Amino acid sequence: MIQTGLIQNAHNDLVTDAAYDFYGLRLVTCSLDQRIKVWQLDESTGSWGVEDDWKAHDAAVTKVSWAHPEFGTILASSSFDRTVKIWEQTSYAEIENGASSSASTSRWTERAVLVDAKFSVRAVEFAPQHFGLKLATISSDNHLRIYECLEQPSLATWQLAEEVDVLSLPSTSPASNSISHTVTLGTPTQTTTTLEGTSVSLAAQALQQQQQQNQAPSRPGLGSREADGGWCISWCKDKYWGEVLAAGCGIDGKVKIIQLSPSRRPATLLALNTAPLRPSTDAAPKTPAPATESEIAPFAITSVSWAPSCGRSYHLIATGSRDGKVRIWRVKPPALSDEADFDGDVDGEGAESKWTGGVVGEFDDHKSSVGRVEWNVTGTVLSSAGNDGRIRLWKATAGNVWRPAGHIGVEQADEQPPDVDMEENAVAD
Amino acid sequence: MSWKKAPHHMKAGSSKRQPVYFAGEYLAPDAERRTFLSDTSVIFNVVQNLVKTARSKEIVLFDNGETLGALRKLAQDYVNFCKECWIFAAETTSKELLQFHEDHYRQLHTCLSLFTVLYVPEPGMEGAPVGEELLDWLNTHFIEPSTDEGKHLATLDRPWEDDTFWPYLTRATLRGLSKACAFFLETLSQHRSTYLQGISRALIPLLTNHPRLNQFSAERDFAIASRRWRDRIKTLRFELDRVPEDVRDDGFQNWWEQLSDVVGILEGRSEVVKRVCVELGGDWKEVCVAWSMFVDPRLRRQDLPDVVVEILDEVPPDPTNQEDVIHASLFLGKPVQALRDAAHMDIWLSAHLADMMEALELIEPTPTDDSDLSLRNYYVIQFAEYLHSDLNCWRHTVDYLCTCGEIGKKMADEILIRVPLRLQSPKDSDAATQESARIRAGDLAGMLKEVNASCFDHGREEVRRMVCKIAAQTFLREKEYGLALSYCASAEDWPGLGRIVDRVLEEYITQGPSNFARSVANVAPSLHALQAQSQGRNGVFIYRLIFAVRFAEYHQRKSNKEYLSAAGDIVVMLKEEVAPRSWWAVVLTDTTDLLRNNEIMPFTTAEAVLLLHKLEEILSRSSHGAGKDYLSILIQCSKNGGEKLALQKLQDVRLALAKYYARCAVMNVGGKTTVSGMLNM
Repeated sequence: MIQTGLIQNAHNDLVTDAAYDFYGLRLVTCSLDQRIKVWQLDESTGSWGVEDDWKAHDAAVTKVSWAHPEFGTILASSSFDRTVKIWEQTSYAEIENGASSSASTSRWTERAVLVDAKFSVRAVEFAPQHFGLKLATISSDNHLRIYECLEQPSLATWQLAEEVDVLSLPSTSPASNSISHTVTLGTPTQTTTTLEGTSVSLAAQALQQQQQQNQAPSRPGLGSREADGGWCISWCKDKYWGEVLAAGCGIDGKVKIIQLSPSRRPATLLALNTAPLRPSTDAAPKTPAPATESEIAPFAITSVSWAPSCGRSYHLIATGSRDGKVRIWRVKPPALSDEADFDGDVDGEGAESKWTGGVVGEFDDHKSSVGRVEWNVTGTVLSSAGNDGRIRLWKATAGNVWRPAGHIGVEQADEQPPDVDMEENAVAD
Repeated sequence: MSWKKAPHHMKAGSSKRQPVYFAGEYLAPDAERRTFLSDTSVIFNVVQNLVKTARSKEIVLFDNGETLGALRKLAQDYVNFCKECWIFAAETTSKELLQFHEDHYRQLHTCLSLFTVLYVPEPGMEGAPVGEELLDWLNTHFIEPSTDEGKHLATLDRPWEDDTFWPYLTRATLRGLSKACAFFLETLSQHRSTYLQGISRALIPLLTNHPRLNQFSAERDFAIASRRWRDRIKTLRFELDRVPEDVRDDGFQNWWEQLSDVVGILEGRSEVVKRVCVELGGDWKEVCVAWSMFVDPRLRRQDLPDVVVEILDEVPPDPTNQEDVIHASLFLGKPVQALRDAAHMDIWLSAHLADMMEALELIEPTPTDDSDLSLRNYYVIQFAEYLHSDLNCWRHTVDYLCTCGEIGKKMADEILIRVPLRLQSPKDSDAATQESARIRAGDLAGMLKEVNASCFDHGREEVRRMVCKIAAQTFLREKEYGLALSYCASAEDWPGLGRIVDRVLEEYITQGPSNFARSVANVAPSLHALQAQSQGRNGVFIYRLIFAVRFAEYHQRKSNKEYLSAAGDIVVMLKEEVAPRSWWAVVLTDTTDLLRNNEIMPFTTAEAVLLLHKLEEILSRSSHGAGKDYLSILIQCSKNGGEKLALQKLQDVRLALAKYYARCAVMNVGGKTTVSGMLNM
């Protein structure tokens, strides 16, 4: 791997996310400094210059996502200020109305503010364009929210199309979920709770196991939950299976594959569980036995990325978690019946009609919390960023075995040791 | 590299100013490398066509002389290209600036030509002994003994007294360089040993008459000649053995032993060949080639691996030398291993080798693991991803990917759709390229044209439509409605077309009639094309567009004081129901000034009645609660003054119409139709 560029002094605080636009000619970054910056590539020199820079939120910005260009030049950002904001670049449209350039220096206009989250919003991602102008958000209240834009040119009205507590999400076929849908059960899942307060109670339960509730007496456990948890989402890019996404939530170390459909409540198709794969876990207890160390609680998943399947018969999903591991999961959709109608009959004919999945690669090279995993556009190269200050690449060999494919790091001799857990802990303060 | 540069923020401590680093898996190819890549891609495309044609005719490529010959020619084209690049890199003055140095291309050259020798034989030679060709390969790429040594020895009066004499002679024998051997054997006639003089004299014709496959038209003749020649060598050995022990040393060294080695090689004694090769600093390749020339001159391609395995056991390849490792895998008949080794050297090599290997059925054409990719496709996709490290190489990236089955094509889609279209008008006018100007003039030009062409070539219609859709969206934002419409139509995105028409009509509401007319002026030409294209389908959107164009024309004519034709527009719009119901009120309101014009009466009485009809429909339906359907646009136009204001405006129209109608009656415009019109009211 080679370094190909550098933006010095990009932000005044830690950079939390960076995303290329559709063409790779622009880059948006966001930071704890509450600002969003859009950078443009000067193709003749290969250098990046700031195009726009604005204070976007009243707290740290956690993630940014570009909408498909079919809908215009649109960004969504999520923040610790519990909001998601929709931004549109308005360099062309704003000449009308007389309210032209003098009104604001920024060429990005705030089009909508989504305020449904009860705690910090940790991730936002626009849906694949064939599902329309939609976005998914996940916040530390453990809720996955799906919004749909109702008025496209104005971008002003966003309908909250779904709002579900990921932890209490039922499975499509309750009878068999614990056996075939969950790869392995590492922690108890609670399925019978009222919607309100579920998240808090579950989190509290989890934290009780860790005996950490004494840290924040006023709001039991929440402070450390925010710090130790991980909330992440990634859409399945395929049109065929309908609206499906992967979501990781809290500290349970699981990624759920969730199907959204207009006619039904969202349902879990499959859960990818990292817990039993930890070498330190001898045998996962079936009941929440009183535990004295944190080993029982799996590590939170901080990042999930669903690879574009590009016509393969399987999907690849990557996760990065606080245990320092990058995992690659191979997820297989149900075998196609003649009618190609999979939602009609889910629990009929055994494993073939269900989503199945397993780990095909597990790497602990980062040796410290993994902050981000991301696929390339063809789903053949995975990159991961860790608190070891390194970016690592992962590729499949000719025998389809996943292997490291290079890494690059920044020397930080004058700074603190590279393995200090920086990003989210700093955020939680 | 594959996915632009990795989006990576490396979190460095908590210091204030945070940098953003960019990293890539590969360095984008430099100009020289790009030339190499794009030139060889031409050959690659021809190979694809060859394979495709053979498959369509159900010809097994390597069983058919014609196709095998064609592939051999193409393989040699690759070889020659590598050679040219090698020479170029060796001769260029700015060597240190090159991304890939001469030795890299030399290695590609040796590997590819070895592959050609071993796996892409001349048609008809598949079953022939391979020694001659291998020797030729070795002599081309690994020249021994060096010319300088020969030159040096040639200057000496008594060359046999030089340390390099016998090694030179032995090596030249191994390499089949009979002329050089003969020359120096000739010098031995000056040697004081009469035994040596005699034997060397006898050896010369044997060396120069060594039967070589290419001198024979049939292998049988070659075999017979070889056997006879070997008998003569045996005789020579007999002579040699008769040399008394005490004259075998000339005081300088033991010439007999040296000569015995030479004869041993010619005799095809395997232990001599191996020992001599190693002593001379030769490697396993040297042994293998000598083996196929002297030990087993009828050795065939398919039997080579068995021999090589044994040789490698004693003389292993250099594991630190990538080139040597690839050569060994090719000699051993392990194509899969060779590909893996080649990928370490240059992903270009593994991709192009794999491509030919699949055509020759050396590797499995179907996936051998659970990746859904065949080995060939795996390597070609890897190479395509390397190509993608340079965004400007997208055409090649797509071309290569599209040869990799459905998965490859889907991957190509992802690349195609992300080719920057560069439609935005450049910020400073100086930078405005001709292409951008041409696109704006309505031509399919520049990147958009190329992406379209590439989509067409590879049958990626869905991507083409998506690209057009995005282009339409870009033009829409720039209010280039005409262009937006034609791209939308090209994408066959009818709902999108509807949205554009809505935006066009919105111009009227927000900007007023004159701006609206100006905006729509460039839409009219695309309308005709659209009407032709849609052929009655998607009429809803087309009708709305027709209305927008007509309505704009009306305002244009009115401002040009062409009142009569303007009035004609109004009548057509209402009569042919081109105007949507929600716009009737607006259309009617806009006729007020025409109706009040004292100089001209543009409507006939019948037409005035038509207007009255429409007006009455609006008013009566609105009073029955359908105001939303009929008045919404007028309300928006009057800056949301509400239904009341809208109705008031319509009353103005009614008054104007009534007055106009009265004038009609007085002036008797239009005749009898007025009566029936009145009765219907």
